[in-house]
Amino acid sequence: MKKGYLYTIVFMFIVALVFTTVLASVNAIFKSRILTNEQLIEKKAVLNAMSITYNDNEIDKLFANIEEVKKDNLVYYALTDGSNQIEKYAVYFEGSGLWSTLTGYIGVGGNFKTLLGIDFTSQNETPGLGGRIEEEWFKVQFKGVSISDLPLTYGNGIDAITGATLTSKSVMKIINDTINNQVKELEAMK
Amino acid sequence: MKKELQTVFYRNLWKENPVIRQILGICSALAVTNLAVNSLVMGLGLMFVTALSSFTISLLRNYIPQRIRMIVQTLIIAAYVIVVDIFLKANLPEISKALGPYVGLIITNCIIMGRAEAFAQKNPPVLSLFDGLFAGLGYTIILLGVALIRELLGFGSVFGYSLNMVNFTPWTIMVMPPGAFFMIAIFIWISSNMMSKRTEKAKLKKQEAK
Repeated sequence: MKKGYLYTIVFMFIVALVFTTVLASVNAIFKSRILTNEQLIEKKAVLNAMSITYNDNEIDKLFANIEEVKKDNLVYYALTDGSNQIEKYAVYFEGSGLWSTLTGYIGVGGNFKTLLGIDFTSQNETPGLGGRIEEEWFKVQFKGVSISDLPLTYGNGIDAITGATLTSKSVMKIINDTINNQVKELEAMK
Repeated sequence: MKKELQTVFYRNLWKENPVIRQILGICSALAVTNLAVNSLVMGLGLMFVTALSSFTISLLRNYIPQRIRMIVQTLIIAAYVIVVDIFLKANLPEISKALGPYVGLIITNCIIMGRAEAFAQKNPPVLSLFDGLFAGLGYTIILLGVALIRELLGFGSVFGYSLNMVNFTPWTIMVMPPGAFFMIAIFIWISSNMMSKRTEKAKLKKQEAK
């Protein structure tokens, strides 16, 4: 079937228009839901980093005592106790893994002596290998680690992931960098 | 129609299985098969996209100008993949997070374009829909087979549930990309063997009949 140039152009235009409209409407329908999901992932990561246990339906209540602070390249959440003392911090980090940018939070105690935990909000490492940094056993290893002796290294109770050496190294580097820069800055501010 | 469906089913699942017979979609087959859950979701996503894009392309097959047909196919495929991506992000955020970039990469899966070019171009919409669906199913089954073995040997678990095998040392090689090459090669070897035996038998029968 031979068709003229005009037909070809008009056809392509119509097809593109129809599918773009469909995609735009699907996006509009789900937009608010995706945003809520992303905020939820963010909030859960903050709570996990502070190593606070929670039920899914009490997250908002817990966030009543948590304040978000943004200052240039320092982003953190601070949990205040009853007498307005800051008890825990969750400091945002961003750094390069093997394939992708890793983002997430590390939790630090109010006295800046120990890590409370770590959680990731986004990572695109190899599923099943580097992607295992999301697994509980890996993250739990950073709970209660003293940060007075830097840099932190694997060994001494913290295991890297077998088959994902480069991602493991990147995670350790990001943690050390975050402690050396953001956390130190936070401590100096106090 | 029923007979045609059977042929399409048999052809896509076995005789011309996209992964082990046509060696298509190998990239994603290597990448996501170290965990069965990832393979399953990837397979379901691919089935959805292949079926619906084949259907749409077949509907439009008499109107698509020949010289821009590939651009139109890519556009249709991409649109469906983005729908899948948005749907996963909105309704299954955990899985969407685990699959990371692979959902977007469904667009580049050669199986979809292959079915569009080889089948949907020349056949009616409903049959094309099933052709796409079965091609996706053939892909999913092979991926799940490879993933179950890799996960079992590499992690000692099935669908994420640890089997707690005593004295079991995980074979790390199975979780790494070479493990997928070995497994898919074994699958291809077995299927080729079975296939050639069957054709030999058919030949013998013909000779006897003479």
